[in-house]
Amino acid sequence: MKIDDDDFLTGAVPDPDTEPTATERAHAKAFSDLIDKTLASGKLPPAMSADDRALLEVATVIRATHGALDLAPSKQRSVVEDALRQAIGGGNAATSLPGGAPVIPLRRRLRTLPWAIAGTSSLVAAAAIVMLVVRKPQLVTTPQTPEMPLSWKSRPTDTLIGRISTECTGLVLDCAREATVKTSARIDTIFSDRLAGYRDRRFGGKR
Amino acid sequence: MAPDLAGDQQRELEQEQRLVEEAQRGNLDAMRPILERYAQPLYGTVILPRLGDATSAEEVLRDTLATAVEKINRFTWQGKSIYPWLRQIAINKVFDVHRQSKRSRRLADAMVHELPSESDPTTHADALLIADQERQTHRGRIDETMELLQERYRLAIELRLIQELSREECAKRLAVTIGTFDVLLFRAVRAFRKNFGERAPNAGAS
Repeated sequence: MKIDDDDFLTGAVPDPDTEPTATERAHAKAFSDLIDKTLASGKLPPAMSADDRALLEVATVIRATHGALDLAPSKQRSVVEDALRQAIGGGNAATSLPGGAPVIPLRRRLRTLPWAIAGTSSLVAAAAIVMLVVRKPQLVTTPQTPEMPLSWKSRPTDTLIGRISTECTGLVLDCAREATVKTSARIDTIFSDRLAGYRDRRFGGKR
Repeated sequence: MAPDLAGDQQRELEQEQRLVEEAQRGNLDAMRPILERYAQPLYGTVILPRLGDATSAEEVLRDTLATAVEKINRFTWQGKSIYPWLRQIAINKVFDVHRQSKRSRRLADAMVHELPSESDPTTHADALLIADQERQTHRGRIDETMELLQERYRLAIELRLIQELSREECAKRLAVTIGTFDVLLFRAVRAFRKNFGERAPNAGAS
């Protein structure tokens, strides 16, 4: 299976006696320099190609397996300390709640926070739905409005123009013309009546 | 097994159980002696051989120990050491690193060994013995791969990476120039990696 960082590495490896090219010689020297740095510091240099990293990792594995790369005691202590601090969430690792109540690690708290928020929201929503379903429906009452004076009200026009008939037995055009005439007459009748009423109210002392 | 050794082992197990139970009751600091005891075996035999990078290995170790503290309530004491549980957390973290960084999993796959003692719940195997067994298994695989290399490549790796001699000294022992030794070592590591990955029993699995 071809793997991303294996392109350089999958090719055949020449025999030891095969004359190296200038490129290979340069690459070999650069790799040896990286080995020097790794042996000196115990860690891989930060910047290098993926191919070199893959080879250096192999070199590290060989060394680790032969016990050459143990964790220094001071490093071990700091890693343990950091891990406890990381798990407990930056507080003093030696603290536990009074009465032996479990200390919930910060990371666990952060992980459960969205669930807690979602759970609370769901509960509130469910409670609201239950309230809507369970509570008695309120009677809708029309507000009582005071009786308005008759003069403020719009007066019916039935007494003036009677019932408007839409029946017509003639031609459509004749019916339309007749309806227009009748409508105009009705409007005139209503206008005259309203104008007379206005005059009475305005000039007859009725306000 | 000598009676004294068995007695010591039993006492250590009992102490470990007490510490675990105390941690499960809420005193997480009780985990400290356990973490201090198993940090080195986890680093040296589980994490570093699968990553090949000391910096990443330290981070994974820290993360492993932190996860163990966080999830200690999920651990069920079965009369054997907590070490196999810690080891499994570490292995999962290693694979996470390979997956997240899209790095080749060749090393991790090549180092996949399930130790028989872990799968047997009745075995009261001492954790350090498990770690030692794992180290021996890794070394066996390394040695097997070394056997496949040409003599001069094998020598180059042994002198430079295992004995950690200087380039000058290595070149002198192989009677070549430093430049030629650099080429030999470069080719040797390439050949080793090629054989190591190809012989991995579970390479590319999962």
